Amino acid sequence: MKRPRSLASLFFLLPALILMVPFVIYPVFKTIYLSFFFGDEFVGLENYKNVLLSSDIVNLERFPTKSPPWGALVHNVVWIAIHLPVTVFLGLGIALLLRKKEVKGSSVIKSIIFLGMVIPMIVGGLIIRFLFEEGAGVVPAIFNALGIERLAITWTAYPETALFAAILGSIWIWTGFSMLMYSAGLASIPRDYYEAALIDGASRFQIFKNVTWPLLKPITIVVVAMTLLWDLKIFDIVYVATGGGPGGASMVLALQMWDYFARALNYNYAAVVAVLLTMLTIIPALWLIRRRG
Amino acid sequence: MSVKKIWFSFLLIGLLAVAVVASGCIGGETTTTTTTTTQIQEQITLKVIGPWSGAEFDAFKEVIKAFEAEHPNIKIEYKTYRAEDLSTILPLQFESGDTPADIIFMWGWFIADMAKKGHVMELNEVINPNEYVPGILDTTTVDGKIYGAPFTAAAKPGFWYRKSFFEKHGLKPPETWDEFVALLEQIKQIPGIKAPIVSGDSVGWPISDVTEHFILTFGGAELQQKLINGEVKWQDPQVRSIFEERLVPLLNAGYFSDPIEWTSAVDLWWKGDYALYFMGTWLTGMVEDPTDLGLISLPGVKAMVLAPDYFMVPKYTTHPTEALELAKFLATEGQRIHVGTSSGKLATWKEVTMDDYWEPMKDVAKVVANVESAPDLDDSVGGEWQKTFWDQLKLLWVQPDRLNDVLKTLDEKFPKE
Repeated sequence: MKRPRSLASLFFLLPALILMVPFVIYPVFKTIYLSFFFGDEFVGLENYKNVLLSSDIVNLERFPTKSPPWGALVHNVVWIAIHLPVTVFLGLGIALLLRKKEVKGSSVIKSIIFLGMVIPMIVGGLIIRFLFEEGAGVVPAIFNALGIERLAITWTAYPETALFAAILGSIWIWTGFSMLMYSAGLASIPRDYYEAALIDGASRFQIFKNVTWPLLKPITIVVVAMTLLWDLKIFDIVYVATGGGPGGASMVLALQMWDYFARALNYNYAAVVAVLLTMLTIIPALWLIRRRG
Repeated sequence: MSVKKIWFSFLLIGLLAVAVVASGCIGGETTTTTTTTTQIQEQITLKVIGPWSGAEFDAFKEVIKAFEAEHPNIKIEYKTYRAEDLSTILPLQFESGDTPADIIFMWGWFIADMAKKGHVMELNEVINPNEYVPGILDTTTVDGKIYGAPFTAAAKPGFWYRKSFFEKHGLKPPETWDEFVALLEQIKQIPGIKAPIVSGDSVGWPISDVTEHFILTFGGAELQQKLINGEVKWQDPQVRSIFEERLVPLLNAGYFSDPIEWTSAVDLWWKGDYALYFMGTWLTGMVEDPTDLGLISLPGVKAMVLAPDYFMVPKYTTHPTEALELAKFLATEGQRIHVGTSSGKLATWKEVTMDDYWEPMKDVAKVVANVESAPDLDDSVGGEWQKTFWDQLKLLWVQPDRLNDVLKTLDEKFPKE
């Protein structure tokens, strides 16, 4: 009786498969196909060579000794290096601080922190822009009050600070996700474990190290993988906050792909960046699937 | 589940699918009937896509109203789209033989590009080139055929100031370069002033407009045209000297502010945080009191950018006759109506007289009429280079010592063809 059952499954899958062919599968293969052409001419890996060797992607003339632009790929790596650990540990820290019921207003504070996640990213980008604008934003105002004039400037206007303004803004937006995940994870740890550890005379740090952290491992895997994907596909907030500038100092891969596609009308180079971006995002996605599966 | 039941399910769903398809066909017939009724009443809806919204659209609405009054059988449906967004939508739609509108306002270079690919209707029968400002049709003419018509134009004449601010601080418009620099220094000393000139940003073009004004003043329209054509490099000594001797010293002296969002810059400038703002003539429609506006061009300016709003009629319009009728109106009488509103625009159709203008624009129109007009540099080159130009200038504004890098990048990214 197995055969009819599989036929029925296939039948119910059919509408989704029919839609996937023109809207997902065909574009994926067409993009890969386009990446090997220049105009109508087949050029093999030439486009990949040109794009990867371009200073748009990796700018070895400036990286790492001079200020950005360092190239979109390097900027994405910098983004991951700063954004990933900060959001993971900040989210965990906030979740730990606010986990106790006796913390008054914890749900309000959590809601405020989570606000960054629920606003449209375009609005998030605008807020970042104004947060870092001299005369309007709170960040330059704080540095002005502290007497640090070098940082009391419009961060998005300077190549030394534009990338970091976007990353810091992204931390504000994304920490809500990490905090929420860890809050849920902490709530699921049975109280008995802590009580047993306390009876055994474990210190707070020992409890965290041997009980909390190991039990939060599945949550950490999800948070890390999702943050990696976020960092690789980052586009909208950079597009609005800095436009990738000044002088390409905050350019990221997704925005570079957009530039090739929409500004240069170079669909082949855009396809190359899209393929590279897909390959890069597949790595954490597969890792997540393997660890979860 | 038995095999019988499964096949029965298949049959049932198949019947449902047929019913859905059939109902779709019936729906199609209904649509056709409606269309037939529409034809009987000779009512046609033309779709227009333009860049204006808010107060700017209110001004354009006057033009639409006038056309609809003349053509009771045509209704105009207007949608706002930025050129940046259209540049990604249109090539794909045109390739599939479709268009989102019957008249589309777009960059001149883009219209020419689409015309070369056969997506745009010729307008030679609609407009007479002799009736327009010289050179205005060059951008949208391909092999002697006109594909894009000009509507009204914005001019980028110079630095705006508030007359009341100048009176209060005893400032006078300069007549020489040295006087201009001295004025900036004088303004810088005024308490409460953040910088003499506010630099608009977030969209890129305000800073490029300032740069073009310097090129046109110290190099003239000819140099600007050569830069557009790629005949002169950005690292050419003549171009470099304009940056090194004129613009960069002002940036180094702190006479320009950091680039800040251009619309909020209007408010800051108006309330007195800054004294001067380089902006196009549309600024007249953005301030509380246009009669308080004064204008300073760089002393000795030889030419000014006249940036018309071009439009095209895509080949895929369903109402070609009516679309061409509207195109003719927009390129002629529509301009007369538009300059009479607070749009802050200038006519490119020579039949429009000074009396047709909105009062605060009359003086500006006279200033612009006395200098040579030049095409907008970055709008003419377009593409990826345009964005690079905006981005590199933003960099120059905050790090004038990077001039060499900036000029080198502008040459490297310039279109090869």
